[in-house]
Amino acid sequence: MNFPSEANLRRAIAFVAALGIGVATYITIADSGGGSPTCLAGGTGCETVANSSYSHIAGVNVAVFGIIGYIALFLTAFFANDLARFAGFAIALGGFGFSVYLTYLELFQIEAICQWCVASAVLMTILFLLNATRLIGYAGTDPERGSAEPPESEAELA
Amino acid sequence: MSNKKEREKRREERLQEEAKVQTGDRRTKLLQLGAGAVFLVIVAVVVLIVANSGGSSGGDAENLQEVAAVDSLVNGVPQDGMTLGDPKAPVELIEFGDLQCPFCKANSEQVLPQVIDNKVKTGKAKITFHNFTIIGEQSLPAGAATLAAGEQGRGWNYLELFYRNQGEENSGYVTDEFMEAVAKGAGVKNIAQWNKERQSKAITGEVEATTAQAKQYGFTGTPSFAIKGPSTNGVELLGSMESPEEFEEAIDKAS
Repeated sequence: MNFPSEANLRRAIAFVAALGIGVATYITIADSGGGSPTCLAGGTGCETVANSSYSHIAGVNVAVFGIIGYIALFLTAFFANDLARFAGFAIALGGFGFSVYLTYLELFQIEAICQWCVASAVLMTILFLLNATRLIGYAGTDPERGSAEPPESEAELA
Repeated sequence: MSNKKEREKRREERLQEEAKVQTGDRRTKLLQLGAGAVFLVIVAVVVLIVANSGGSSGGDAENLQEVAAVDSLVNGVPQDGMTLGDPKAPVELIEFGDLQCPFCKANSEQVLPQVIDNKVKTGKAKITFHNFTIIGEQSLPAGAATLAAGEQGRGWNYLELFYRNQGEENSGYVTDEFMEAVAKGAGVKNIAQWNKERQSKAITGEVEATTAQAKQYGFTGTPSFAIKGPSTNGVELLGSMESPEEFEEAIDKAS
């Protein structure tokens, strides 16, 4: 099976994670002002979702967890070792599972769709696929166990 | 010499082979770990969804939904008893509903919010809720609990929150525990007083009186509506209404 080069996968992961940081940060800022994210085309789904009891876990907006996850994924793209490959896969998997759960809540519990949440779920799904491809294609290709190659790999990314 | 070289070559090959096996082992281990993580996440998501789907049937005192949504819908709008809106608003829309009725729930969630935003919050109309208990025995205590919350200025919070957590008709979910959870979620301050009032003759009598009035109007289902305004001839009956636009048009006509 032909996999894309790991450098390309890492570039794509960094790019999509950066978009995710942007989306999650917007949702967090819009919510912290006491308001809610603005839905495009005048929809009210964002307000309904933001006002629902599911939008916060232990008083923390779920988007904050999103920001943390996207930043962690962004960082894993800067290292070409098994630790980064597996961490990226595990974080993206957790994020993807959480997105599935949140989308279920939107559709069947809150019965409203927030476009920004959908955008984040799509980005997390892409990140999961990219990280899964990376792990399957390149796990165990380190020259030595657990060794990082930051100088070379960062040059590749730049 | 050639023997020595050959031995070195063989040793080199053996080391390479061992390294290859080691890399392969590490790869297999990582992929197995990954597969295990996938399994765990699938289990976690299924458990979360199953745990939450229990709440979707409503009537769950321990898992009240949409408290914040109700707050944002009615907080800041004046309430007097079961009337929502500026007391001086020229038009009064009157709803006859049953707390157990799923159509009332749908109306409250999908139709009335727009009417409240466009007509009530702007001072053009007020809405009064009256009980019309037709579903079953539990409709009376539910209606009385709403009126008792209205005595403390939280009647519409109670009504809306009850609808959003409504269970299956006559399934027995309207327990003291459920009604009290809704009262707390609706922001009723004095629960002891609320508990006393909801069981009082005055309140239950009012539920029965408005039910009789609805029958007198000829209503047969809930929610049914009536309207009163400067351009109406006393109370005019609207019957059942489907869309926010219909309500807004009726309010404009009655103004």
